[in-house]
Amino acid sequence: MFFFVLRRLVGGLPTLLLVTVMVFALTRVLPGDPARLLLGEEATPELVAQIREELGLNRPILVQYADWLWSLMQGDLGRSIRGNEQVAPIIWQKLPTTLELSFFSLLVAILIGIPAGVLAALRRNTVADAGVTVLALSGISIPNFFLGILLIYLFSIRLAWIPPSGYVEPWVDLQKNLLLMLMPALTLGTALAGAIARFTRNSMLEVLSQDYVRTARAKGLEGRVVVYKHALRNAAIPVVTVIGLQLGGLLGGAVVTEQVFSIPGFGRLLVDSVFNRDFPVLQAVVLISALAVFLINVLTDLLYAAIDPRIRYH
Amino acid sequence: MKQWLAAVVLWSLGGLGLAQTVTVGLDADPPNLDPLLSSALVDRQVHNQIYDKLVDLDENLRIVPMLATSWRVEENGTVYVFTLRQGVKFHDGTDFNAEAVKFNLDRYRSAPGSRRSGELSLITNVQVVNPTTVRVILKEPFAPFLAILSDRSGMMVSPTAVQRLGAEFGNNPVGTGPFKFVERRRQDRIVLARNENYWQRGFPRIEQLVYRPFPDDDVRVANLLSGAVSIITPVAAKDLAAIRNNPNLTVNNFPGIGYQGIWLNHTRGPFTNKALRQAFAATIDRDVVDRVVFLGTALPSNGPFPPGTLAHDKSIAVPKRDLALARQKLAEGGRPQGFSFTLTIAPGPVLAQLAQVYQAMAAEAGIQVRIEQVEFGTLLDRAAKLELEAVAVGWSGRPDPDGNIYDFVRCKAANNYSGYCNARVDNLLNRARTVRLPEARRDLYSQITKIIQEDLPYIYVYHPQTTIGLSRRLSGIPVIPDGILRFRGASLGGQ
Repeated sequence: MFFFVLRRLVGGLPTLLLVTVMVFALTRVLPGDPARLLLGEEATPELVAQIREELGLNRPILVQYADWLWSLMQGDLGRSIRGNEQVAPIIWQKLPTTLELSFFSLLVAILIGIPAGVLAALRRNTVADAGVTVLALSGISIPNFFLGILLIYLFSIRLAWIPPSGYVEPWVDLQKNLLLMLMPALTLGTALAGAIARFTRNSMLEVLSQDYVRTARAKGLEGRVVVYKHALRNAAIPVVTVIGLQLGGLLGGAVVTEQVFSIPGFGRLLVDSVFNRDFPVLQAVVLISALAVFLINVLTDLLYAAIDPRIRYH
Repeated sequence: MKQWLAAVVLWSLGGLGLAQTVTVGLDADPPNLDPLLSSALVDRQVHNQIYDKLVDLDENLRIVPMLATSWRVEENGTVYVFTLRQGVKFHDGTDFNAEAVKFNLDRYRSAPGSRRSGELSLITNVQVVNPTTVRVILKEPFAPFLAILSDRSGMMVSPTAVQRLGAEFGNNPVGTGPFKFVERRRQDRIVLARNENYWQRGFPRIEQLVYRPFPDDDVRVANLLSGAVSIITPVAAKDLAAIRNNPNLTVNNFPGIGYQGIWLNHTRGPFTNKALRQAFAATIDRDVVDRVVFLGTALPSNGPFPPGTLAHDKSIAVPKRDLALARQKLAEGGRPQGFSFTLTIAPGPVLAQLAQVYQAMAAEAGIQVRIEQVEFGTLLDRAAKLELEAVAVGWSGRPDPDGNIYDFVRCKAANNYSGYCNARVDNLLNRARTVRLPEARRDLYSQITKIIQEDLPYIYVYHPQTTIGLSRRLSGIPVIPDGILRFRGASLGGQ
């Protein structure tokens, strides 16, 4: 087990190196000069040239990459072009927010998605099944910004129950923090719940038609035990895979939802850094997100073993 | 640590409703709180609470005392002698005095990467006469000088803090202003607290000021409607009705100092031909633009100087739409059947709508407008290289007329996106900088406006207004055309 994890982690290093190359190349092919964007209305050719020099943007691209990689290996993520501050503290500041939002969204998604999927599978081809399918498809297809604005309109403006947007750290005011997390978590969670429900349904249907389920039933086991202990557990593996993939996406930043609810997480940082061509921040966000996806993949693999004892890692 | 504790205390007080907190919704997160490095307009909203300036502007854009109580202009406009306010302290407890003024002006004009160096390039020397007197010597007379000191170049930061914090100063700004910096979380909030030792007794009235960025118009207005913020700026024209219909809220519209319009490239494409420029310009109906796109909140423009500013000349008519003239000019330009060109715009719903209105109006004269949307940085880049045939870029405006025109229509000026070059205009522009008599300056700027209306490097279409949506409980915010909300005298009544 330990060696498996170690092997996976070491094996991931070339992937991450490749990611650094991709990230760097992608940021540099973006049109638009960061120096000019930074100076905005104040741009004079002399100042633009001076800033480009200062930021090292006039050096050969390979030199810039090597320089960035070298700093990265020393744990230095560089300085933000836009805000003229260290990137690492910005990332650390945003990380808990993004983790919290991801956690709650996933919680909503699982709490809705899995029971709905199980229900749809058990009541296959009934009104309940159709209902779940329709809801799942709506969840997937309603754009986040629309649902978000709808929720704000209903709960903040009409009913005045919840502040429309913003973020308060849980250690400052836990109650307010949870209240503010409610709408964004619902917005993101319902979208993910749809996918989870569909996968759970399909996977359950497959498992429920297997011989051992029939055997379990024939043995006279209670329906609930058959469904939860025998069927759901075995149906869980593809569902866990989907959840893992979604969590990876969430950690990369829920761009639209964060924008609508003014949550200062990775998503907004990403958008802002793209628009401002703030390369150091952009590179750091993408790299950290890639790292998160990679780690979640390793975790998902480990979860398979926990769910299905037949799976062993050596 | 201390700052962090203060933030926690203030924040929890805010939650309990004990502190008088005003929360301001802005359209962007202010990137840089150090005036030296600031190049975004939105920065100034926060700067103006943390820093005092040597001079300020009043409702009529007149220069009024702030940290300088009075000034004399000597030697034909090349020497400014400022008398400074006494007993003023920076938020870190150090004294504001003539040494601090010298430090600041020298820093702005010579620190590496200073965004202010251009504005202050004519200063040759700053002399400390005594602790409350400073002499600033200019290379040549420069009429906009005081107006420039009413903006970021006149903001006084604590020299001690700059020396102590170095590159981190912008993240822990220290000034003499009515509010002190407490904390910032990028893309979330900037928290300021009342400066208890402010030099103007009894001010500021509110205890805490919080800035929150809402780039999306809908989200910004939703926060105002729900009461989560007390004031927002700007307000999208489409949202004005929702605010007006709410009994707790009100809208404040006032003329701004900037302009919006279209650059026409004189170096490539159809607009090398003057008659074709005039033909397209004649298709634009400024009143329709105002009514359709801005629901009556913009002012049709006759040139770079909006009504209410020094150089505005109301005897120069706002050009009217004239299709007959457009057709005549098309024939004159050798294209009686019309022509086509590409209008490049930055992304955004209002800009897109505006471009479509231009497109529809031009089509009636047979001019086909292709609309191309390009991300803003790329747009600036290509516009500066004169690669675009026509580009819609405006200007936020400066209180002195020079700031609205000098760097735009002069030959090879940094922001001249048309490639226009007219020696007569350059000559007039340079003269208008050195003359100090307002009437004489106005006359020079009127001459320039008329030439530009004829030559059309730029079609001035409208002057945007500053729009503010605010709670009726909030009062004491002066209406100053530079669009900056000053919270020194603000108060929150009727709890």
